Amino acid sequence: MSEANSNGKRALEGVRVLDLTWLQVGPQATRLLATFGAQVIRIEWRERKAIDFIRYVPPFAPDHATADGGRSQGISPRGHGIRGNYDRAGYFNNTNPGKYGITLNLNHSKGRDLLRRMVREANVICENFSPGQMDKWGLGYEDLRKLNPRIIYIQTTGVGKAGTYKDYVSYGPTAQAFSGLTFLSGLPEPQPPAGWGYSYLDHSPGYFGAIMLMAAIRRQRLSGVGCYIDMSQSETGLMLSGTSMLEHQLTGKPTARYGNRMPYLDWSPHGAYRCSGDDNWIAISIQSDEQWRALVEEMGSPEWARAARFATIASRKQHEDDLDAKLTAYTKGRERYDLMNRLQARGIAAGVVQKAPDRFDNDPQLKARGYYVDLPHSDIGTWPIEGFPAKLSRSPANIGGETNRAAPKLGEDNDFVYGKLVGLSDAEMASLREEEVI
Amino acid sequence: MKSELNLGTSLEGITILEIGDQMGDYASMLLAGLGAEVVKLEPREGSPSRGIGPFASDTHDREQSLFFWRYNLNKKSAMLDVDDPSARRALSTLASKADIVLLSGEYETVARRLELWRKIAEDNPRLIVCTITPFGLDGPHRALKTTDLVQMALGGIMAVCGYDPNKDGAYDTPPIAPAMWHSYHLGGEYAAVAMMAAINFRELSGEGQFIDVSVHEAVNTCTEVAIPTYVYSGLVVKRQTARHAAPNITHARLTKSADGIFMLASLSPFEREQRALAQLADEVGIAHVLGTPEFAQLEKDDHVAAAIYRNDLLEQLVESLPADDLFHRAQKLGLAWSPIRRPEQNLDDPHFAARGSFATIHHPELGRDLRYPGTVASDGHAPHFSYTRRAPRLGEHTDEVLRRVKS
Repeated sequence: MSEANSNGKRALEGVRVLDLTWLQVGPQATRLLATFGAQVIRIEWRERKAIDFIRYVPPFAPDHATADGGRSQGISPRGHGIRGNYDRAGYFNNTNPGKYGITLNLNHSKGRDLLRRMVREANVICENFSPGQMDKWGLGYEDLRKLNPRIIYIQTTGVGKAGTYKDYVSYGPTAQAFSGLTFLSGLPEPQPPAGWGYSYLDHSPGYFGAIMLMAAIRRQRLSGVGCYIDMSQSETGLMLSGTSMLEHQLTGKPTARYGNRMPYLDWSPHGAYRCSGDDNWIAISIQSDEQWRALVEEMGSPEWARAARFATIASRKQHEDDLDAKLTAYTKGRERYDLMNRLQARGIAAGVVQKAPDRFDNDPQLKARGYYVDLPHSDIGTWPIEGFPAKLSRSPANIGGETNRAAPKLGEDNDFVYGKLVGLSDAEMASLREEEVI
Repeated sequence: MKSELNLGTSLEGITILEIGDQMGDYASMLLAGLGAEVVKLEPREGSPSRGIGPFASDTHDREQSLFFWRYNLNKKSAMLDVDDPSARRALSTLASKADIVLLSGEYETVARRLELWRKIAEDNPRLIVCTITPFGLDGPHRALKTTDLVQMALGGIMAVCGYDPNKDGAYDTPPIAPAMWHSYHLGGEYAAVAMMAAINFRELSGEGQFIDVSVHEAVNTCTEVAIPTYVYSGLVVKRQTARHAAPNITHARLTKSADGIFMLASLSPFEREQRALAQLADEVGIAHVLGTPEFAQLEKDDHVAAAIYRNDLLEQLVESLPADDLFHRAQKLGLAWSPIRRPEQNLDDPHFAARGSFATIHHPELGRDLRYPGTVASDGHAPHFSYTRRAPRLGEHTDEVLRRVKS
């Protein structure tokens, strides 16, 4: 992927991003900017509280993984974990490819001065500290704007910096619960919500952040102005809550959950059905009576399926519990991929509920499209990184970014960034190191 | 009060022609919220997404789809059958005045329409042509039949969402697709990211380009630790009720409040949160041993038992208070807890009102306003996304758009 486009211009060429974010919610946006050619500089500090917490989160590269090796050396569930080495976390590696990594002590006045100096030459600054932390340091938007009127400043917090709950704290799951997204997922009440198996609201602000930042960068290029973006994870949740709020305003009815069924189209059966093996499932969506008849034929036209009560969509919807039970009796002895292929051959939308090994080892579509990208890391070697889900013909996504590397080690690029980009002399850098500033 | 630095007009002057189905609605609406002009070119019967419920009235006609309303704010609609060869000249003319053409739908339809747009793009090198298809334009699965549910299955999100296994470790409940249309949300967001990259590239180079978005890959990007856990350790994460999928089953954390609302309440390992829990228990008047030398000893001797004690105390707290009371008390002590709200409970929340999170949109046909979730960020004074117009009626802007062709 990266070879094919290494000569061309990048969409965000010449854009420098100071990235003070951590966890997932901020680094996701800067990952996308790096992918399109921005020079992203991840800023951390070598104290426990100022190191990105994701560096502590499993999985870790196995102990035998070295800089000139990588995944080819084999994998292992028995890594030694973190043990003071902040450079072996796999999820951090997947979240931060293409970025430079430096250490800078913002609790030191010289560290804050150095950041100010860097802001003068930067296009974008991103942070997701607790609301107000940057203001306390004298590094808030109004402060930085005086140094660089073109600066684009984005901060992401759980509920937003402005508003009644501005001091409330939130992780992705909190914002999901608050915004209504957790409620929307799961089987109908009285079953509890199933919620989300990951922090979706740590991801969506990354996508929205990239969209807004690229709109702001374009305007900065064209007319030289910056902006301040106070992003709220909870608001991104509201944006994704579909039609529920509209329906409620019109009917007064409380929002309901529907499991995997489709109440909004004449589609049935519609759900996940058990297949042979351990926790194996297939999703099937029947979108017309014609497709239903094709499914009946595939099942060998059993008597139950030819009954009048299942013949029309209206009638199938009426008897959906019974229908699902009978369909499950058919699917549960079947091999999931074989069944998917047979149903697809009959024009039926059907797909295996794929787990990580299915997607990583076997998905022929992801393979053909080159979705996973192998990138080197300076400590743990070359590992596959999740890619960008679109091909652009002239300014392709390049997950390895300007560094052509997976995630940076803690402070890996201090010499390059402080020496070459900021222009500090060796003596200045040595003295700042001595004073625990960089 | 909008500041001069608001992004709501930042894409003014960018025109997007949108042709397709529900896979494209959201992507172009996002850019419409930043000021782009979006013109939907619809066939005589209307775009397919006009047929998706729920509906505003029992007639279920194509002007009543709440799905269409939700995902087509600020847009214009012109009735023009893009598959009719006689429309070719009109399309060329419109393209010469447009910046982006967005094509969405199943592979066969999009690939067929793309042939024409490839020719049109030859005469318009600045044109950006973006396709959104279930699997992308190449690869062995490109023409598989899908729906949102099937994309969520193949893309891996369903496998990490659902309910806890039973005590034997077996799952009695199916994997769950969390919230409807989520695969199209993901495809749409990434398409918007890619279109913004292409717009930026064009400012540098003067060149347009083709963008090929795969909904399958978009869904795949969004399963968090599932792939890294497998890639680095060979372990497979398991789905669990309302918490992160993980290789092991973690502590359950859904508890009902005194008024019967499920609360999301958990404790991180941070000491600050442990202290806040003790303080909250004191406030509410629940006896506990947190902070005593005995508890400190227990933590040293058996940290698992200590954790169970803390979780029991947490559950007792949740059960003793109404959800909203608990929410505000916990938050004031710095605990990231929240009731699991229904989406509509946010409509009248003072926080979102203060931020202008909802756009008030007038529906003349209903004779009333409806409030739509309308932004994800504020500029400190006003929302960055700006939604002001309801979704267009079919062909509402046909005359305006055809005048453009003639002029």
